[in-house]
Amino acid sequence: MSRKMLIDGELSDTNGEEANYDFDLFVIGAGSGGVRAARFSANFGAKVGICELPFHPISSEVVGGVGGTCVIRGCVPKKILVYAASFGGEIEDARNYGWEVPENADFNWRKLLQKKTAEIIRLNGVYKRLLSNAGVKLYEGEGQVVGPHEVQVTQLDGTKLSYTAKYILIATGSRAHRLTIPGQELAITSDEALSLEELPKRVVVLGGGYIAVEFASIWRGMGATVDLFFRKELPLRGFDDEMRAVVARNLEGRGINMHPRTNLKELIKTEDGIKVLTDHGEEFLTDVVLFATGRAPNTKRLNLEAVGVELDKVGAVKVDEYSCTNLPSIWAIGDVTNRMNLTPVALMEGTCFAKTVFGGSPSKPDYDNVPSAVFSIPPLSVVGLSEEQAIQQANGDILVFTSTFKPMKNTVSGRQEKTIMKLLVDAETDKVIGASMCGPDAPEIMQGIAVALKCGATKAQFDSTVGIHPSAAEEFVTMRTETGRVSVSSRKTNL
Amino acid sequence: MATAPLAGPMLGFPAFRPLYKKFPISGPLSSSFISLPRTLTSLPPFRRSLLHCQRHRCRHLTVRADSDNGAEPTRHYDFDLFTIGAGSGGVRASRFAANFGARVAVCELPFSTISSETTGGFGGTCVLRGCVPKKLLVYASKYSHEFDESLGFGWKYEAEPQHDWSTLMANKNAELQRLTGIYKNILTNANVTLIEGRGKIVDPHTVEVDGKLYSARHILVSVGGRPFIPPIPGSEYAIDSDAALDLPSKPEKIAIIGGGYIALEFAGIFNGLKSEVHVFIRQKKVLRGFDEEIRDFVAEQMSLRGIEFHTEETPQAILKSADGSLSLKTNKGTVEGLSHVMFATGRRPNTKNLGLEKVGLKLTNGGAVEVDEYSRTSVPSIWAVGDVTDRLNLTPVALMEGGALAKTLFQNQPTKPDYRAVPSAVFSQPPIGSVGLTEEQATKEYGNIDVFTANFRPLKATLSGLPDRVFLKLIACAKTNKVLGLHMCGEDSPEIVQGFAVAIKAGLTKVDFDATVGIHPTSAEELVTMRTPTRKIRMGPPSEGTADHEAKAAAGV
Repeated sequence: MSRKMLIDGELSDTNGEEANYDFDLFVIGAGSGGVRAARFSANFGAKVGICELPFHPISSEVVGGVGGTCVIRGCVPKKILVYAASFGGEIEDARNYGWEVPENADFNWRKLLQKKTAEIIRLNGVYKRLLSNAGVKLYEGEGQVVGPHEVQVTQLDGTKLSYTAKYILIATGSRAHRLTIPGQELAITSDEALSLEELPKRVVVLGGGYIAVEFASIWRGMGATVDLFFRKELPLRGFDDEMRAVVARNLEGRGINMHPRTNLKELIKTEDGIKVLTDHGEEFLTDVVLFATGRAPNTKRLNLEAVGVELDKVGAVKVDEYSCTNLPSIWAIGDVTNRMNLTPVALMEGTCFAKTVFGGSPSKPDYDNVPSAVFSIPPLSVVGLSEEQAIQQANGDILVFTSTFKPMKNTVSGRQEKTIMKLLVDAETDKVIGASMCGPDAPEIMQGIAVALKCGATKAQFDSTVGIHPSAAEEFVTMRTETGRVSVSSRKTNL
Repeated sequence: MATAPLAGPMLGFPAFRPLYKKFPISGPLSSSFISLPRTLTSLPPFRRSLLHCQRHRCRHLTVRADSDNGAEPTRHYDFDLFTIGAGSGGVRASRFAANFGARVAVCELPFSTISSETTGGFGGTCVLRGCVPKKLLVYASKYSHEFDESLGFGWKYEAEPQHDWSTLMANKNAELQRLTGIYKNILTNANVTLIEGRGKIVDPHTVEVDGKLYSARHILVSVGGRPFIPPIPGSEYAIDSDAALDLPSKPEKIAIIGGGYIALEFAGIFNGLKSEVHVFIRQKKVLRGFDEEIRDFVAEQMSLRGIEFHTEETPQAILKSADGSLSLKTNKGTVEGLSHVMFATGRRPNTKNLGLEKVGLKLTNGGAVEVDEYSRTSVPSIWAVGDVTDRLNLTPVALMEGGALAKTLFQNQPTKPDYRAVPSAVFSQPPIGSVGLTEEQATKEYGNIDVFTANFRPLKATLSGLPDRVFLKLIACAKTNKVLGLHMCGEDSPEIVQGFAVAIKAGLTKVDFDATVGIHPTSAEELVTMRTPTRKIRMGPPSEGTADHEAKAAAGV
């Protein structure tokens, strides 16, 4: 997208010339990014159409739903299950606080599922209303790109609708990816895991990413026996190593059986459940096997290659810094571009798209200091660099401040779980370049820290902030002495 | 103390050696020597720290000679600093001073969960009768709400969970004992001499503890505050927050008098533990001084959880009936059948019987020690930090004051505590976190402000079905876009606000907030996604006047 197209006069000129388009913008996919882009574009005065597959909790080529992954099969239902699972630990913790809770507190999965589905259907409706209130025309069906300015929507009954649009936005997201091992059809993905008919008693989770540890925590909290298998030494590759170790210890402490450096070889159906064979020659019998082995962009049936839109090796839509593909009229945002697959990032990309194309102010999404959270129990949240990234990227010395402590709640509950917090500081500029925390409320705590990091706050500014007492978060402003220093020359922590 | 003979020659201060020989008081020295074998065992690190501090020390000795206002620079003192009161502020100042190389002693009353003229304990109010035990009771009482929530998430209990008060008290007190021990260790590890007993100031450089005299170059008064019960008929039947944290049994029906944070926190605690709770406030609203909308919101949320507020109702007398139950008579009527009446009607500085009047130390009308910006009292060698000065009565503020004082006195770095954008929390249920100006303050100081609010049902409540909501408010200066205040009431507010306090303290703008990506799904992300002002307040004078106003406000905030 060249800047000159955005100059007001010229934009209206082009409008004048090409007023024969059905829409200024047609969006394929009504998830977080698509809905945001559609609404904001409409608010800027664009005529917007959007298509989405019919609603279903488990996604496929032919079902989806307005709201997308986040609302229907991701963040929201996941967090609901995390809430439900957390009560398991709370009940244990309550006893030393004087509560007499019947030993066999009972958890009714079906009731939760029903309420979760009701909530998701409500949110699906909310999203539909958001669109219609913004004047966006919604079509139910499968969207395909037919030409640089033309989309086709195949409706449920098979009828095909064709529309022209000045701009087309691909926001079709991604889907869970399955491993190809013998018996893989016996396994489920996160979609099904959020909608199981019965609560499994025994679960095998394959994967070391955030989805794997979240589901391991969920099922464990609900009382299941959980075995977590992952390829590396520690789960959560890409996160700060120290945090990864703490998460692993906490998962283990909560009763999850950890199997590092282990792959699954085969799944076999038996009378007593699924038999799982590992590459170490071990056998496990389980009710459910979850593949949390990554997600793949939804680009297969969009006809993108035929119209000449370039994809990358994993099938993600290739875009420039403004989210424009190699065709100037076709743009893409969110997981389908596989940049940083987080809901709030898709929202940012959607907003930037609308501003760039219809708001007259070219805006690049800014991927610096994007905070994120893993809703394991207890959760992890980070913003900025990990210590390993900092060592790689920094030019000067890095100061490492860590604080490991027993949260106050655990002093009475007796839970043997520690909270860890870490700040990384550029020794020369005093700027805080990374923050991470694993412990209760970490995601809520990290948001404000993220504002500070985003704007280049210094360690001195952290130190000058008075604490809120007693909180866990106050530790972030009371870290006086560094626990390590990584010097340019040695590139090693002097711990 | 034990190290003084070693330290003197090692440091080679000419002033020290001759003075060491003429220690004015030898009795207390040897006794504290004997009572503290630990100082001997920890000699090596102390020696190291002394060597390390040697350079600084020389410097601040000269500075002190200049600034001591008539104190004799050549006189020897038992201690460089004698701290009366080992609460948050006193411990912080003492430790830091000792780390900077000063010889420090601190005296504190014997441990008790309930404070008096003769009892206290290392750790002070925060650890023994404030923040910590309060928060432990908040944790305990929150479970009833969590059990209710869990029902909406598919959990079921054969019988309703019951609470056993004595288990809670025992576990809480075990934790307090552990903490008071930790505080003692922190001090002894920092080579601070601990003296148990009541400290009194005899002259500008002498403190008496249980008949023994100690001389000190500087004296720090950090004796904190205590709950105040107004003298109405029958007030002897009432309890204060000290007692409320350590009751022998759970109140069945309690009247809490007061609308401040202590009243609200205890109302939440007892309500969560299933007592019948009545709160009596003189005014129309709770939490005077807080943002008006927060005041309304928290009262509404607490009422929904079952607390009964009696507004504009002033207590007149407490009566005890034959069956032992209490009645509270107010200007509007009488509430009967109370098991407890609790006063949460403010706290008073502990300035009585400290000998302050003897040295002519100035107090404020409220009985607080008057201090300058560096925490210095009207007597140049006497300083005061924390609640006894009644500035901003928060633990972290006392820590800040104590840390600043140690730097001023012993690191040659005159440091003023900075009271701008100090965040604070109320651990009511739901809790409140806030930092910076209220809407009312911001309107007054800046005139033109943009107010962003959100009032929403959190994800958890959509499933639990409980009427819990979250209220958020951001206040930005219309001219500079700077965020002036942030207020939040709802689950996790205190934890959420801390990070934002860093941002506000750093002077960040609303644009900076908006540039930050959210963490999804959290409540906190709402604070970086407030796009449209709820209202724009424009009361300020036109542009040239605004500049003036701006400058004034910037200096004053």
